[in-house]
Amino acid sequence: MAHPAVMQPPAQAEPGAGVYNEKLGMWVFLGSEVMFFTALIGAYIILRFAQPGAWALPGQILNVPVTAVNTFLLICSSVTMVKAFAAIQEGDQRMLRVWLLATVIIGATFVSVQVFEYMQLAHEGFLPGGYVAGSHLAEVAESGVAYKGGPALPESVGLYGSTFYTMTGFHGFHVTMGVLSMIFVTVKAYRGGYTAQDHRGVEVIGLYWHFVDLVWIILFTIVYLI
Amino acid sequence: MATTAAAFDHVAHAHIDTRSFIKRYIFSTDHKIIGIQFLIMSLLFLGVGGLLAIMMRWQLGFPGAALPAGGMFPETMAPDGIMLPEFYNSLVTMHGTFMVFFAIMPLLVGVFANFLIPLKIGAPDMAFPRINMASFWIAVPAGLIMLTSFAVEGGAAGAGWTMYAPLSASAEYSGVSTGQMLWSASIVVLGMASILGSMNYITTVINMRAPGMTWFRMPLSIWALFITAILTILAIPILSGAAIMLLFDQLLGTHFFLPPQGGQPLLWQHLFWFFGHPEVYILILPAMGFVSDIIANGSRKPIFGYHSMVFAIMGIGFLGWIVWGHHMFQSGMNPTLGTSFMISTLLIAVPSAIKTFNWLGTTWRGNIRFHVPMLNAVAFVAMFVIGGLSGVFMASTPVDIQIHDTYFIVAHIHYVLFGGSLFALFGAITFWYPKMFGRMMSERWGKVHFILTFIFYNLTFFPMHQLGLGGHMRRIYDPTEYEFLLPMQGINRFITVSAILLFTTQFIFAANFVISWFKGKRAGNNPWQDTGLEWTTPSPAPHGNFPTTPTVYHAPYEFSSPHVAEDYLMQDRKVERIASPTAS
Amino acid sequence: MEPKPHAKHPPYVGIWVALAVLTMLEIGVAFFQGWPKQLIIILLVALALWKALLVALYYMHLRFEGNRLRILAIAPLPLAVILVIAVITEYVW
Repeated sequence: MAHPAVMQPPAQAEPGAGVYNEKLGMWVFLGSEVMFFTALIGAYIILRFAQPGAWALPGQILNVPVTAVNTFLLICSSVTMVKAFAAIQEGDQRMLRVWLLATVIIGATFVSVQVFEYMQLAHEGFLPGGYVAGSHLAEVAESGVAYKGGPALPESVGLYGSTFYTMTGFHGFHVTMGVLSMIFVTVKAYRGGYTAQDHRGVEVIGLYWHFVDLVWIILFTIVYLI
Repeated sequence: MATTAAAFDHVAHAHIDTRSFIKRYIFSTDHKIIGIQFLIMSLLFLGVGGLLAIMMRWQLGFPGAALPAGGMFPETMAPDGIMLPEFYNSLVTMHGTFMVFFAIMPLLVGVFANFLIPLKIGAPDMAFPRINMASFWIAVPAGLIMLTSFAVEGGAAGAGWTMYAPLSASAEYSGVSTGQMLWSASIVVLGMASILGSMNYITTVINMRAPGMTWFRMPLSIWALFITAILTILAIPILSGAAIMLLFDQLLGTHFFLPPQGGQPLLWQHLFWFFGHPEVYILILPAMGFVSDIIANGSRKPIFGYHSMVFAIMGIGFLGWIVWGHHMFQSGMNPTLGTSFMISTLLIAVPSAIKTFNWLGTTWRGNIRFHVPMLNAVAFVAMFVIGGLSGVFMASTPVDIQIHDTYFIVAHIHYVLFGGSLFALFGAITFWYPKMFGRMMSERWGKVHFILTFIFYNLTFFPMHQLGLGGHMRRIYDPTEYEFLLPMQGINRFITVSAILLFTTQFIFAANFVISWFKGKRAGNNPWQDTGLEWTTPSPAPHGNFPTTPTVYHAPYEFSSPHVAEDYLMQDRKVERIASPTAS
Repeated sequence: MEPKPHAKHPPYVGIWVALAVLTMLEIGVAFFQGWPKQLIIILLVALALWKALLVALYYMHLRFEGNRLRILAIAPLPLAVILVIAVITEYVW
């Protein structure tokens, strides 16, 4: 298959990164995203070392089964994304659209499940500031009884709430931005905007999408399972 | 969608520019126009920052005296014209904030990374012109948000530009609520502009250098801007994350930095300074780059030790990540950790020293031209040395115990930021003005501005070393409340008067800048007889920059080259090389 | 830099299966009663990193890119490590 000029580094230039501008730009941008999540996740790790007593055990407050399924869904969306990319590399317009649409739907589902999860947690009495006074969880914590297969809940979960909502919230925000961008790419795909010769937009949004999945892989483990 | 050089050639060949005024000058995607937009915005904020400083100095020099025209301030800021302590704290905080984030950073990077990079590497524009435009139009609202924070109830943030928690994290401690949240929001928005811009600069420098413009033929200004962009894109997100956590502590009741439910104030300091230290290198490296270009030009000699200059820039960029704790020696941090920071901080003086010696080596036996940019560049070297030397004292933990949070630190900051970066900027603006506007700034008024600024600047900031060693603390509202400071109050008054004169002198620069735009002597392609690629284009440089992609044959500072009769050899000029043992 | 002919795609579905298996393993490890907490944490982090590496290498195609891009991609990581480890020493040393 002929390799198109636009999917290569700029024509009249010294050798650079060896990839076209948009791809290089996205990797550079992802570098900044790594640092952003480092601040949030790093703060969480540090606070957990500083005040280990402010956290409940895995599964006591957070819903691991539902989130595990949600994690699996996000991983699936990475597969659909990369299949979309593989499709347009072959010039298969139909499958490009199918796989892109699938990615949008799964991504939107992921965000919806997260929103649902937040609502559940708020209902139980777990918010960014910690327990809600008078809520179910606050009462359980006060009573000091063993809860859901583990010891008693911590007296205060201010740090737990702060870090949980901030990390997952910003991840969810990034997924949402990804879904919106993905809709844009999907619409363009339906209009025949990508070809086997030029599908930079698909590759670049794919990189972003996989990155968001990668961050979740880390988050799911250290937020829900530890 | 034009992304290859070939496609841009097509745009450049269209001699009739049919774009509307709005597309050409307001929502422009042309890197040169965006650079000029940043220039106007930043100079305005520089003025704001300066005004805030003068107000602070008034209170420090004449505590309790009514501000001139103080009646115009509301009761919440300065009843009867006498500023309240809370208002003073806001002035301190906002002076630092505006100067660092909205004046110096955009001047060094927003203006010159945008304006110079494509021109000096032989590219038609940035890699992503529309994202470039977005970057400017995101920075503007950030600045407006910061300005409006003065007008809200509770006033503007007042915990210092370093915004230490828990003071900054709760209105209960600082008395400031909305203003504090607006500060955090503004910083996050500005961060997005910085990140997008840096992404553009990095991609452009890596991928769009013209044929022959190898890495080691790039001018030092571009090297410096490139490394700065890498520092920016990695450091700013840390600040964004920290500012968001701070905002959440204020707004959502989280506990990141508030002790009652286990929050860690020290965490704020570590996060802030992990960003903050690379930030100060962001604030100096581009200036060093401009100074290199200008000194080579003014000396009519190649930069001495070009390769070591490049490695020094890289060294500063790299080491800058592991010194942040030196801002925290007095915080109660782990002392062993502190010692490791002392060692790395002392080390980082070395690459800066290498650069200083190389600038001296460049001027040595040069055919010096004392044009305005050269005067400012040489002043940079001298003032930066003073600032750097005070830094060595601060690097040593035992010494820092005495001088931390005193005016010794304030002296250091201003020697490197004003004596360093700002002088470099005066030089750079003057130097590249003709390429931006097609006219020269007045040489005579440039020299008057330089001499007066140099004198008043030193009179303002040098005595601060003395104040600091005498124990004068930072950020205090009324020095006369402390008996041990009373003997030094005369110095405070002296500094205030010098500062007012310094501020007034800047109107000369402002007038020169504005008047020259309309009445300045028209400039040819290469008024400074420089070697860079930007000087092959007309002044002002046209949309698309080059009629065809240039080919580069030479190193960046081929002044006094034996291969040509003139004392400068432009990078894209093809010449027959004469056989000479000294030729490079 | 010559373009890579995509005659054969990487095993995307195979990687997906690996990711699913690793996720299930993680959940098993997290709720396993037998081992000390430290060991569980190390195992979980290792499994998460393995999954992340699979996504980065195969879905983000880093396995097939040149060294320059790979270096660019991993450049931020040492900084992240330095920050977190340095600050942890405030609390555990």
